[in-house]
Amino acid sequence: MHDGTGRIVVQNLTKQFGQVTAVQNLSFTVEPGTVTGFLGPNGAGKTTTLRMLLGLVTPTAGTSLINGRPFNQLGNPARVVGAVLEAQGFHPKRTARNHLRVYAAAIGVPDQRADQVLQLVGLGGAADRKAGGFSLGMKQRLALATALLGDPQVLVLDEPSNGLDPEGIAWLRTFLQSFARGGRTVLISSHLLAEVEQTVDQVVIVSRGQAMYYGPLEQLRRSQQSRVLVQPSDGNALVAALQAQGVTAIEQTPDGRLAVTGAEAKRVADIALQAGVSIYGIQEEQVDLERLFFQLTNGQYTAAGPNPFAAAAFQGPQGSGYYAPPQGYQQPGHQQQGYQQQGYQQQGYQQQQPPPGYDPYQAQQPPQGYQQPGQGGGFGGNG
Amino acid sequence: MGGLLKAEFRKTTTTGLWWGLMIPTVLLAAGWAAGTGAIGKGIMDTVTGADFQQLTQLLGIEPSQWKVSLFGIARSINIATIFPMIFGGLAISNEINRKTITTTFLTAPNRVSALTAKMLVYVLWGAIYGLIIVLAVSLGTAITSDGNQLPDATGWLALAGVGVLSSILMTIFGVGVGALMGSVVGTTVVLLLYMLIIENGLQVVLASQNLPEVIGFLPNGSVNGLTGSVATNLFLQSAGSVPKSLEDGLRAIAGALGASDWWLSGLIFLVWTVVFFLGGWAITQRKDIT
Repeated sequence: MHDGTGRIVVQNLTKQFGQVTAVQNLSFTVEPGTVTGFLGPNGAGKTTTLRMLLGLVTPTAGTSLINGRPFNQLGNPARVVGAVLEAQGFHPKRTARNHLRVYAAAIGVPDQRADQVLQLVGLGGAADRKAGGFSLGMKQRLALATALLGDPQVLVLDEPSNGLDPEGIAWLRTFLQSFARGGRTVLISSHLLAEVEQTVDQVVIVSRGQAMYYGPLEQLRRSQQSRVLVQPSDGNALVAALQAQGVTAIEQTPDGRLAVTGAEAKRVADIALQAGVSIYGIQEEQVDLERLFFQLTNGQYTAAGPNPFAAAAFQGPQGSGYYAPPQGYQQPGHQQQGYQQQGYQQQGYQQQQPPPGYDPYQAQQPPQGYQQPGQGGGFGGNG
Repeated sequence: MGGLLKAEFRKTTTTGLWWGLMIPTVLLAAGWAAGTGAIGKGIMDTVTGADFQQLTQLLGIEPSQWKVSLFGIARSINIATIFPMIFGGLAISNEINRKTITTTFLTAPNRVSALTAKMLVYVLWGAIYGLIIVLAVSLGTAITSDGNQLPDATGWLALAGVGVLSSILMTIFGVGVGALMGSVVGTTVVLLLYMLIIENGLQVVLASQNLPEVIGFLPNGSVNGLTGSVATNLFLQSAGSVPKSLEDGLRAIAGALGASDWWLSGLIFLVWTVVFFLGGWAITQRKDIT
């Protein structure tokens, strides 16, 4: 029936609920032996995507395959894929053991399997209690037990940490990692990167139903190279010197310093020395992964259309970039509206402009500082 | 399919709904049968009494042979099958309400097999309810009726057969309506309102407009025709000569005014059941489970 690889392939998946496009042309692959995080803000289309993958929601367009097959052609699907979904219910009057025995019968595994999975998720003592009296965390464990009944090759979990206490989250993390280490596949969704950061190897980051990043978390982390914050006597001279040496990812920070990405502090200092620029202060800074996640997904609630900040930037001193994501991590063809920079990307001086309207992070945003040179001139041009 | 059947049956036995509905089913079936039996006996005691002897002789009828309990049996079965219908109505709507439908679809090869298993299990439950109803009705009738008013073994078997059949059909009818509505409260209210009040009102109107034959095509009218027609036929077989003009009245007493022959009534209700069941199936088959 299926190829037994444990691979999940999502291709050009689109779902429209009436006028609302929940998922738009989404593609990614989940490889066996890894834990893949499926990340995005609430409402980004994560749940809809997972439900399409599991045959619960019919896609408007595109396909999703597990082991090379759509869900409804897997034969006995619960032997291939187990799922913990947010809106998965239990009859409140049915005991945990009976709940599992119902589905054990449906899957065709022996009844003892119900008690095995209860032990596995730490609910052995609650087998004869009715699910209606369970806490949220216990329900999550029971949902996981149900998903594990068929000893599946692939696990799909939608926000499984909801309701789990810290101990439960730590347990789940260990469990999923050992599950994946055995060559199986885990796809886990979350709206918090921090929640799964220590669990996942790969990430798919979605925003407004579109993939913003898809690849190893390590690569995303590496793309978050440390920055060198340097306070030179002559900013323009240093920028020119750096650019001459091939260091082009330079930004202005709000306090007037330069943020240099892609070069170590030592090298920046050496270049400054050669250029005869004094350095009043130099410091290496690790940029937060969470902030990058936010930048990738923060277009969600802003209006589509040209970025007003971007327009303002052409006119002079207003625009100031903060962090420029390195090239290559944003998938081509997935640029978001409201997040796009119009004619603004200058040679060697990529800027990522935050869209307006996200106050919680506003504090982290630098005030205007760096004088933006004329359009197309580049930094060195003014020097 | 065997596993899915087992799973669906376990779903019904691991919660209290089946016996929670079985208790009122038995009470209503036995009580209604005992009540109608008592009424029938009272009437017959009067009719066969000395006061009416001249009249019955004049009409050429022999009331002492009338098996009047047949009508009570038919009516009691009809009223009691309300409960298996509700039981069926909750089959899918409850799963949607509790969101267990997600797991049901995740553990079945496809929705067709999941729904087929559910249908077969509810056919079985309809038969179980039907048997219990027939037994409770028989008991209630036997308590209050005179021996000569009871049907013979063949008659009883015929009534038991259509009783079980109508219980199965009512259950599946309920499953269909429940799947169409998708809501526990909505399904229960609609089924009860329609079967107990709305259609009875319609029947009164139709009868008063001299259109009683239309009643036999309505859901409740046709399912009542199953038991009602059999009861009427059995009654006529043993009642000696009964004026043709009285037959309609007898059918009305049996709760099957305007109904066709039992098999035709059964076919008509089967069509209703299939229409609602397939409608509910189509909706559940395509539904986005979110």
